[in-house]
Amino acid sequence: MIRKIFLPSILLVLAYGFWISPDFKEISAGVAIFLFGMLSLEEGFKAFTGGVLENLLRKTTDKLWKSLSFGIISTSIMQSSSLVSVITISFLSAGLISLAAGIGIIFGANLGTTTGAWLVAGFGLKVKISAYAMPMIVFGVILVFQKSKELKGIGYVLTGLGFLFLGIHHMKEGFDAFKDSIDLKAYAVSGYPGIFLFTLLGLIATVVMQSSHATLVLIITALAAQQITYENALALAIGANIGTTVTAILGAMSANVEGRRLAGAHLIFNMVTATIAIAMIYQLTHIVDIVSGWLGIDSDNYTLKLAVFHTIFNLIGVLAMTPFIQPMVRLLEKTLKPEVRTTAQPKYLNRASIEFAETAINAVRKETLHLYDNAFDIIAGGLRLKPEWIRSDRPIDEFVNSSTRSREIDIDEQYNAQVKGLYSDIIDYMSEAQPSMSSGQSEELFALRSAGRDLVGAIKDIKHLQKNLERYMMSPNPAIRDEYQIIRRQLASVLRGLELVRLGGDDSATILSLDELKVELDERESLLDGTVDRLIRNNLITAEMATSLMNDSSYAHDIATKLVSMGEVLFSTGDINLRDAERNISLDDDEIDEALASSR
Amino acid sequence: MKMKKLFANAEIFLNSDKRKRKEKKKCLKHVIKKLRKQEEKLNAHLQNETDKDVIENLNRKITLVHAQRKKGLALMKKLMEKKKS
Repeated sequence: MIRKIFLPSILLVLAYGFWISPDFKEISAGVAIFLFGMLSLEEGFKAFTGGVLENLLRKTTDKLWKSLSFGIISTSIMQSSSLVSVITISFLSAGLISLAAGIGIIFGANLGTTTGAWLVAGFGLKVKISAYAMPMIVFGVILVFQKSKELKGIGYVLTGLGFLFLGIHHMKEGFDAFKDSIDLKAYAVSGYPGIFLFTLLGLIATVVMQSSHATLVLIITALAAQQITYENALALAIGANIGTTVTAILGAMSANVEGRRLAGAHLIFNMVTATIAIAMIYQLTHIVDIVSGWLGIDSDNYTLKLAVFHTIFNLIGVLAMTPFIQPMVRLLEKTLKPEVRTTAQPKYLNRASIEFAETAINAVRKETLHLYDNAFDIIAGGLRLKPEWIRSDRPIDEFVNSSTRSREIDIDEQYNAQVKGLYSDIIDYMSEAQPSMSSGQSEELFALRSAGRDLVGAIKDIKHLQKNLERYMMSPNPAIRDEYQIIRRQLASVLRGLELVRLGGDDSATILSLDELKVELDERESLLDGTVDRLIRNNLITAEMATSLMNDSSYAHDIATKLVSMGEVLFSTGDINLRDAERNISLDDDEIDEALASSR
Repeated sequence: MKMKKLFANAEIFLNSDKRKRKEKKKCLKHVIKKLRKQEEKLNAHLQNETDKDVIENLNRKITLVHAQRKKGLALMKKLMEKKKS
């Protein structure tokens, strides 16, 4: 109900305001242009999220100071804490960073966003920034129409900055003209009632505009035009800080548990900071005066003093809350619990990461690895082996020879329960993520899709293989029994080899060692015909057994080949270009033959 | 000279083909280096080995790593030729 009447009410109030006051119209247009600039700026920076930003973010997870610095620097450069939050949530939900690192980034972003106040108060109000706005918009728009993704990105950033400047200019002009007709200062409220009232107003303004940055610019321009008192401006700034968490909470409502936890951390941080700031506002203004004195800021330069206040109170928040990050993580993990997931449900695919191509690819890779884990268990079960035996360093012969008891396994049922749904979810996610990807990224996604297909194919093959395996591994005929034991051993060896490569996936040489497995597979295949001939010739197996053995060896070869080709795609953990280089250097069957022939 | 370098870097950044080629070259170089180290490691292992089966296995590994490194170098050469043309 509230939602339904909220938007029309806002529009009506604005329309009435425009009708009675052209100055109000100019201020509102300034805010709208400013917000449009923010959107354009975010769009521009998104063009660069394919590499630099994500690589940087990935490297900021090991130490807290790195996470904090990333938050501060990226928000200072992009002037948008919401874009940084969205990227952080996408990384968190794709399982690429920890919650503690995410919280560190959000704390840093809170401090980074204060640079906006410095820029506007120190530069925006002193220089005629509208003079810079026009060329920026013109150059920006020309670049937006270019084909290159990078130029387009730069174009959006320039246009965004141009609109930001233009918006500030209109707000400034609007407030200057406004003061001739109405003196808003007459509505100033002093003391704590005023602080609470204006904190609430700052909060509401930020929720309506969905940007604390816009609120802060509005406060600074109003303060410069002496339309609000310094004290009330400080309260508005505190309100804007709380308001920005409301925006984050609204955004996190549709996010997964990681997004909600991060929004929770953001809320706790801003509430604690705001409480400290309100409780100690008079002491803080005193500190601001001292710091301003050190920085050479005039005592009547209230706009810059507001920027000092904004920085100091966020800095106090960071200093006060940073030691409590770990307890906060524990509290959030305890209170916001993920839904209980079965092994068949996706762990990393999330709407939050779909917008950022690199993150989406990483999420798909991790989810396909999850699919591999499920498939590994099914394939091991099909061979009548326990997955933990294969993953251990026990000699393969030992457990293959000792586990000859048959047990009923329904691979179809296991496939439906653990693989089918997950595989469909991965495919759905890929088709949604692909349209926003570059050709290189699409190729990577295609390779991951074929890795998933290989896994499903391997399960289907093991389903066919296990029928005879079950029959012959307990056969009274030792010759056929031995042959099926060899198949089990070979596949167990491939699975173990893959696990070893997976563990060393950050080394290109390890990934490329999968080519050795290909050689082993081909050698086994070429020996098979001779073995079957010998067994038939010596009357050791029947013709029916020979047919089964040939078919099943072919299934085993297919399973191994599919698993190796899946491993080449899935186990490499480097960036997209490195994975591409590894795949290009990997040898195909002809190249392997040629290399081996020349060495003989 | 610094200005020249700055312009060259700016050109690489704005020319996505050039940038992609540079990144590709960097990654190929990285993989080739890793393979060379692996080959050296395997060769050192081979020197101290007496078991016939292990020697055979090591020789096969060295052959494959060597072929992969050769392939990498050929790809690198192709990239350099593209750059020149």
